[in-house]
Amino acid sequence: MNAADPTVLRALAAVTAGGPPATGRGRADDAVLSVRDLTVRFRLRGGRSVAAVSDADFDLGAGECLALVGESGCGKSVLASALLGLLPGNAEASGTALLADPSGAGPTDLLTADEKTLARTVRGRRVGLVPQSPAAHLTPVRTVRSQLEETVRALTGTPRRARRKAAEDAAERAAFPGGHLDRYPHELSGGLAQRAATALALIGDARLLLADEPTTGLDRELVDRTVDELRRHVDEGRGLLLITHDLAAAARVADRVAVMYAGRIVEIAPAPRFFGPTGPRHPYARGLLDALPDRAFTPVPGMPPELSALPDGCAFAPRCPLATDLCATRPEPRAGVACHHPEHPRA
Amino acid sequence: MADRRTHRLRLWTSAVTVGVVLLAVLLVPPLVQLDEQAVDLSQKLLPPSWDHPFGTDDLGRDLLLRCVYGLRISLLVGLVAALVATVVGTAVGAAAGALGGWTDRCLMRLVDAFSSVPHLLLGIFVVALFRPGVWPVIASVAVTHWLSTARIVRSEVLSLRTRPFVDAAVSGGASRWRVTVRHLLPAVLPQAGLAAVLMVPHAMWHESALSFLGLGLPSHQASLGNLVQNARSSLLAGDWWPTLFPGLLLIVPTLAIAGLAGVWRDRLNPRRRSELML
Amino acid sequence: MLELDTVTAGYERRAPVFRGASLTVAPGESVGLLGPSGCGKSTLARVAALLHRPDAGRLVLDGTEIRAWRHRAPRELRTAVGVVFQQPRTAADPRLTLAEIIAEPLRATGRRTEADARVAELAPAVGLTADLLTRRPHEVSDGQLQRACLARALTLRPRWLICDEMTAMLDASTTAALVAAVEAYRTETGAGLLAVGHDRVLLNRWCDRTVEWKDCLPAEDTP
Repeated sequence: MNAADPTVLRALAAVTAGGPPATGRGRADDAVLSVRDLTVRFRLRGGRSVAAVSDADFDLGAGECLALVGESGCGKSVLASALLGLLPGNAEASGTALLADPSGAGPTDLLTADEKTLARTVRGRRVGLVPQSPAAHLTPVRTVRSQLEETVRALTGTPRRARRKAAEDAAERAAFPGGHLDRYPHELSGGLAQRAATALALIGDARLLLADEPTTGLDRELVDRTVDELRRHVDEGRGLLLITHDLAAAARVADRVAVMYAGRIVEIAPAPRFFGPTGPRHPYARGLLDALPDRAFTPVPGMPPELSALPDGCAFAPRCPLATDLCATRPEPRAGVACHHPEHPRA
Repeated sequence: MADRRTHRLRLWTSAVTVGVVLLAVLLVPPLVQLDEQAVDLSQKLLPPSWDHPFGTDDLGRDLLLRCVYGLRISLLVGLVAALVATVVGTAVGAAAGALGGWTDRCLMRLVDAFSSVPHLLLGIFVVALFRPGVWPVIASVAVTHWLSTARIVRSEVLSLRTRPFVDAAVSGGASRWRVTVRHLLPAVLPQAGLAAVLMVPHAMWHESALSFLGLGLPSHQASLGNLVQNARSSLLAGDWWPTLFPGLLLIVPTLAIAGLAGVWRDRLNPRRRSELML
Repeated sequence: MLELDTVTAGYERRAPVFRGASLTVAPGESVGLLGPSGCGKSTLARVAALLHRPDAGRLVLDGTEIRAWRHRAPRELRTAVGVVFQQPRTAADPRLTLAEIIAEPLRATGRRTEADARVAELAPAVGLTADLLTRRPHEVSDGQLQRACLARALTLRPRWLICDEMTAMLDASTTAALVAAVEAYRTETGAGLLAVGHDRVLLNRWCDRTVEWKDCLPAEDTP
């Protein structure tokens, strides 16, 4: 279980990151998404299996941005796919991922919901996806306006006459300039394409946004602009799960940071502490930050283990400068860190 | 999933059908040692019975035996013609795509020129140049069927050529020949192979059409087209079996081959190939 | 000296991607080229890697102007410049194993016998284990594949290395590891480096000097 109390953390984050004030209620009430023990296994030929995600545990509140960071291949995209019910046929997901229902009905478990529920009531309506490559996400042969209108029709059933207005509103919400609505995707710059894709994601007025590497391949200026846009939607009260390998982008928008290593969340920390002078507590998270070019610029030695052959103990131990005999057993997460010898044990 | 079940059903029915057909055409002639040309006018136009499961034709020849021989020759023509057409088409397409420029323009205008003539007309023209036999028919089918393969291979090569891995190979000192043979061709071979398999039924139908028109194989030789052609007169007299069985033997194996090719095409789909998305 | 002198380059029948670009990389020097996405940096990288023939201007390698373009620059010049691209997935032939990918330049230049030894030498330098070398691209992560792509660029011991957004898809740790591998190679051989990218912090840290790309078409990004 994640023992770090999100209410406290969010309050802490809100003070420094300018987020909304914490409500003071328990996490079960105001969490948009509540993930417990999410585990995804891929079955491969020959009886092997790949532990893509193990025991992921986190809550995401309204008006909060949680950044999920980690190396490529650490399982963060698989986690996103699991939440959208888009895992391939040979994957098995267990645990729960409860998506709160604003209408007051009970929460939906995204892992057990059938495809019909996911397609008709979840994707687009309650979970908006901001895609990795917006240019590929848009239909190349149709204008942005016609794609927005189509999505408006599909998701909200707005009558024909009101659709044009609804599409323009959606574009405005995503800061997509109205003058560019009648353009085709190839006539848009990378930043505008990203906004068009975000506008599509926002049409259903989903309270949970899922952004899977939304800034890959963009230059720094566009990255900043894209994540600032996302932050705006967070400040309107949506929850954002930002999956990224770009620590600078995470530092810019996130309220909390979850670090994933070899399929496990090894640390969840409030962003100001994580990126601030105190720094993260897990040695891997510290190593990741030290690899940044504006810090020590030294890589974490070695390479992550194979997800098909994870060690019994701590998966990071072979690369860890602090590893001891204790690390042959797997550390349980305590106070948001899964490590036997975290830095700065809480005083 | 029901989807997967129909998929599997298609795979197995196609595979079993193709297997039975191959066994029949490979094993029956050497094992049975009967003369499929043996004429017995006392037995002419008998409906299907235990002695003659497919009946007999107007000269009293056993139709089952003739159908197996006919299928054999049609399959042979189909396979060899598809192979020749694929080799020619792949070579032309790869050359056009990899060399580009004038070579590309000349080769593709040649393809256009061939395509502009109706296939059957071109096929008839080719067979008319030679004495009737198996090879002119194969040549006729090959000449009319390499065009689509050439187009497929060329466009695949053109799109592959812009990939960075080709740039990387060039930067590593690879000659154009090496880039084509080692990096481009292996990537298009599955597509070309699929085109070849899909071409076999086409080629069989082309052969049958030529034979039906009396332009293919010599009319005494049992090919599916000849059998249907010979049966025409009996059909008008109300005898259905000499037409039905050769016709079925043309339709069923070609459908089975197309079914197998379809399964193969699904396998080529890259989305199925990567089971793991990390 | 790798010298681009008022080079104009583009793709057939379209307006040139850039005009009159000049850039010099001295032996042993590392130059960072900074610019936003879509401004023609990648085309310039391909010109510098002798993979794209410029429409105008001079391209000079070690004092010899490259004139003998037929379809590509002559082989001995091409192989003097190694290149690493942004996306390892599209830059690696999906049918080869990682070891074959790294050995390919030696095989292509008829030095097959040296291949095994060179792969054994390069793999630890870029941080690849023996187990990974037997796999194909779809069985490894982006970071591992990019390590193999870097090794391939170093196989023929080029005197210049062009890194076109080499680390844009990679996490911080892999980025630092790859940059360290490049720097180790440069210390060993004294090769020159042109690193193209958009990450100012990274390029400032990595390179001796950085060049700003300003000649780009105005971005119509602002609403």
